[in-house]
Amino acid sequence: MKKLIVVLLALMMVTAMFTGCGTKEKGVIRMWVGEESAEFYQKVCDEYVAANPDFGYTVEVKGMDTGSVAGTITNDPTAAADIYTVAHDNIGKLASTQCAKPITDEALIAQVIADNPASYQQVIYSNLNDVKYLYGVPYISQALFLYYNKALVTDEQAQSFEGLREAAKAAGTKAITVTGDDGFNMSFALLAQKVTDHSTTVKIYEGADSASGGSKGESNCQGDDTVAIYRWLQAYAADPNGFKWASSDGWHADLDKNNLGVLAVIGGAWHYKTAAASLGETNLGIALIPTFTLTEEACEGLTGVAAGDVYRGGTFADCKCFMINAHSEPSKYASEQQLIKYLSSKEIQNRSYVECLNVPAYTGSAEFIKQCFDEGKVTESQYNLAITQVGMAEWGIPQPFITGTLNTYYYSKNAPSVLRAIVDKSAYPTTGDIILTETESLEGIRKALYMVEYLWMHGQSPKDFPANLPDKA
Amino acid sequence: MANKDPINKRRVGICVLLSFVTLGIYAFYWLYLLVKNVRSLKNDTRSCIGEMLCLILVPIYPIYWWYTRGNDVKRLLEERDCQASSTGSLFLVLLLLSSFIPLVIFIPMGIMQGDFNSLPTAVSKSHKANFFSPIGKFFRNIGKMFTGGSVGTKLSYFIFGAGNIYHKQYIKGGIFLLLQIAIILFMVLCPSINGTPYGYKALANLSLKNLSKGGEFDPATGGMTTGSDCKLMILFGFVTIAVIVIFVILWYKNIQSSYKADMDKKIGKKPTTFKEDLQSLLDQKFHITMLTPTCIAALVFTVLPTIFMIALAFTTYNDPDMNDAGTTLFHWNGVQNFARVFTGEGSLGFEIKNRFLPVLGWTFIWAIFATLTCYFGGIILALLINKKGLKGKKIFRTIFIMTIAVPQFISLLAVRNILGEFGPVNKMLMDFGWTNHAIGFLGLNPADSEILAKVMVIVVNMWVGIPYTMLMTTGILMNIPADLYEAGRVDGASTTKMFFKITLPYVIFITTPYLISSFVGNINSFNTIYLLTGGGPTHTGYQAGGTDLLVTWLYKVTIDQGAYNTGAVIGIFTFLITATITLITYRRSKAYNEEDTFQ
Repeated sequence: MKKLIVVLLALMMVTAMFTGCGTKEKGVIRMWVGEESAEFYQKVCDEYVAANPDFGYTVEVKGMDTGSVAGTITNDPTAAADIYTVAHDNIGKLASTQCAKPITDEALIAQVIADNPASYQQVIYSNLNDVKYLYGVPYISQALFLYYNKALVTDEQAQSFEGLREAAKAAGTKAITVTGDDGFNMSFALLAQKVTDHSTTVKIYEGADSASGGSKGESNCQGDDTVAIYRWLQAYAADPNGFKWASSDGWHADLDKNNLGVLAVIGGAWHYKTAAASLGETNLGIALIPTFTLTEEACEGLTGVAAGDVYRGGTFADCKCFMINAHSEPSKYASEQQLIKYLSSKEIQNRSYVECLNVPAYTGSAEFIKQCFDEGKVTESQYNLAITQVGMAEWGIPQPFITGTLNTYYYSKNAPSVLRAIVDKSAYPTTGDIILTETESLEGIRKALYMVEYLWMHGQSPKDFPANLPDKA
Repeated sequence: MANKDPINKRRVGICVLLSFVTLGIYAFYWLYLLVKNVRSLKNDTRSCIGEMLCLILVPIYPIYWWYTRGNDVKRLLEERDCQASSTGSLFLVLLLLSSFIPLVIFIPMGIMQGDFNSLPTAVSKSHKANFFSPIGKFFRNIGKMFTGGSVGTKLSYFIFGAGNIYHKQYIKGGIFLLLQIAIILFMVLCPSINGTPYGYKALANLSLKNLSKGGEFDPATGGMTTGSDCKLMILFGFVTIAVIVIFVILWYKNIQSSYKADMDKKIGKKPTTFKEDLQSLLDQKFHITMLTPTCIAALVFTVLPTIFMIALAFTTYNDPDMNDAGTTLFHWNGVQNFARVFTGEGSLGFEIKNRFLPVLGWTFIWAIFATLTCYFGGIILALLINKKGLKGKKIFRTIFIMTIAVPQFISLLAVRNILGEFGPVNKMLMDFGWTNHAIGFLGLNPADSEILAKVMVIVVNMWVGIPYTMLMTTGILMNIPADLYEAGRVDGASTTKMFFKITLPYVIFITTPYLISSFVGNINSFNTIYLLTGGGPTHTGYQAGGTDLLVTWLYKVTIDQGAYNTGAVIGIFTFLITATITLITYRRSKAYNEEDTFQ
């Protein structure tokens, strides 16, 4: 009898193990959004379902980590939600791995065209069997900006890197750091634009085409302005009161008012809570990424730039988008698009700002943000947070990765570490077993920037360097 | 002087392993030894180079060779009163099979080597059964049961359960028959999940050819085809192979069951009823009842995923050098991923070529130091705590056990903060004026000292590792028979001598398996390295940093870079290294060779 009980228990255990796999519930549209907005979107969806009895579905909203959700979806798209939200730079990867379904509802497409800036509209389409389709519907805007210690840095000093250095000298510390040394967080130097005319020679996959056999577009990282900016940054990083990489304890420890490792950090809205915890709400200043002035040394031997030229740090000005899972049942398709149209409308984007501080993606959202502040719906720092991001959008470009390959080439092929090597004036390896021993000279920087551009375009390091640089890869 | 044995004896498993490690080169050497052994058995002293060359170069010769030499070995062994598994016909079948699945060639080689190993030798110890003996026995039994079995048994070679039905064991026979029908239907009808089929189509799909890119989209309905999924194709292919293996086992068991009934009848016994069979599963065969679910679970949740991941090492799965749909559409690329370790081709090949040996070297240094420092540190601590006359033993023991009670990752993160740039250690050093800048103890910045980071992780690891050994050694020390010390004292041994002659050998004897598992555990010590240093200091242009172990590097290559195929290669190399070290050291240890005989 005892043995029989043991066998039955073992059987129950095995059965329990195998019944863990559930089935998708019918009549439900599942949706993944950022963790911080899940409650809000559940409420909004419930309202929509209640107001539209013909809709025919209930909506289940789940909060997901925005940074890793694209990886979760590509690993197993069949288990992903019917509708999910990701940063737009994931569109290429998700579309090419057949994790996303095109959007074809004419009313929704018309709304996207009418509401969103042209820069966003260039990066939310992708090709399927050589037909161009809309894949992502923007609903949140995001960009990098500056957090600074208001107790030690005046608003005027926060306008320029030189001002920050001055404040850092007075405080006996470093001026500024970044939240990471990857291709996104270090975009302030790479995408810096001349203040007078917003010009830059940097191009990243400009005009790339995701059609089969499509091109990688045009890239350029070897312009004289880029060389001069990195030479300027080398000097700024070598300055005892200049730039530093985040410490081993994290950027927030550097910014902490007790440690005083740095006075400012370039980060995004998602860093707000941590930055506020480091400095305290009252000491936390928010501003555009500062300007810097090119020096004689930075421009020496270069023709395209001149000492005294003023540049503002740039950013990737991105948007988060709603997308439809390719594995979602066709019967839900029309309702999914109907729901996305509602959720991405100006009205819901505005509510999302008031309730979750999500910066709306539509053109002209600054007016609404200002109105909210004037009406006392948001605090001053919340207002600054939003209006600064809207302002930085003018100094940035959306990440133009409309294919999975380009996304991989940009982020996973060592180009960021080569750019870091330039700032550190350290050596770096190449596939040709050529070890560059220095990145301090003009020739060294040119070679490093050639290598970065080559990595963007080919996904691997060059085997050799052209005799004359700059050279187009 | 001992006579040199003319027969080369080799452990079959090692030969197969070496053949894989050397990418097949050792297999040729092994084949040469087999050719030589056959010659030696026939007292033929001529050179066998020519025969070896024919075997390699002449297309049909291997068929002839394996057939004739199989029969020769059988005959020659039987002449020497040894049982042989080798037979010409068996080798012929296996050789033909190997033309479809090349790895099958290791089976006849293993069987023949097993026969040579079973020969008595001038200088031999007792020989142990080899892996291929059961395979030989299996084939012998099939022949024996067919020739010696009843009509029912003969029928059950083709129709499952026919023998049992013949012996009026209807339920048992019916179950066998149903299983046969179910598996045949499974193979023929090819049920599919997410558009990927099982059955014979899954076997065909294993070639990963004729892939459909999919993506056909109907804007009107929203319907979308998603194309081939190579991940599922490989997985379902292996599941189908597992089903075929189960089919073969069922086939054998159904024949065996019928043959047993034949034998029972022959000696006047009634064949067992279904009820009796069921009762036996709760009685003398209870171990089978209990082990079956465990084995199935191990097969489904451990063996299949492992085989799947090994298979990925031979594909272009999510290869960063491939385009877009690398996780669903990929193909086999042979041993190219392994070859990258030597050639450095591809973007990750460069990393592997330049960083594999440094990482491997540091992994060993780390594993040796981490194991020995914790091991001997634990023993010393246990001896100190168990010293006679020490007051408050329980308090000391509790304090050290507390470090085990705190989750390891919390301890490690706390240490990371303590040693960080703004941590108390650096603040204290700067306040004392001993340094004017923060010291990078853990190599978290690229400019930090690699040597210092390596020393620090070994030291910090002692903090989390020593209490485990202390706890275990305390138990062992308490169980050393007191009469050993008594005898030592009678013989006039000093305390030091008794420590080195009694205590230490006893502890080492008991803890050798722990020492080995601890060494292997340290090779794969992910937490300590990843949480303390994150593998840093980083090397510009490479994923693998100064303190990265193979396992943390593997994590970065797969999770950060998404190159699962390259990761699988690193994983296989790590497995080969740890498995080899474990096998060799454990089999040579006293704990294995002199089990239960500590003297």
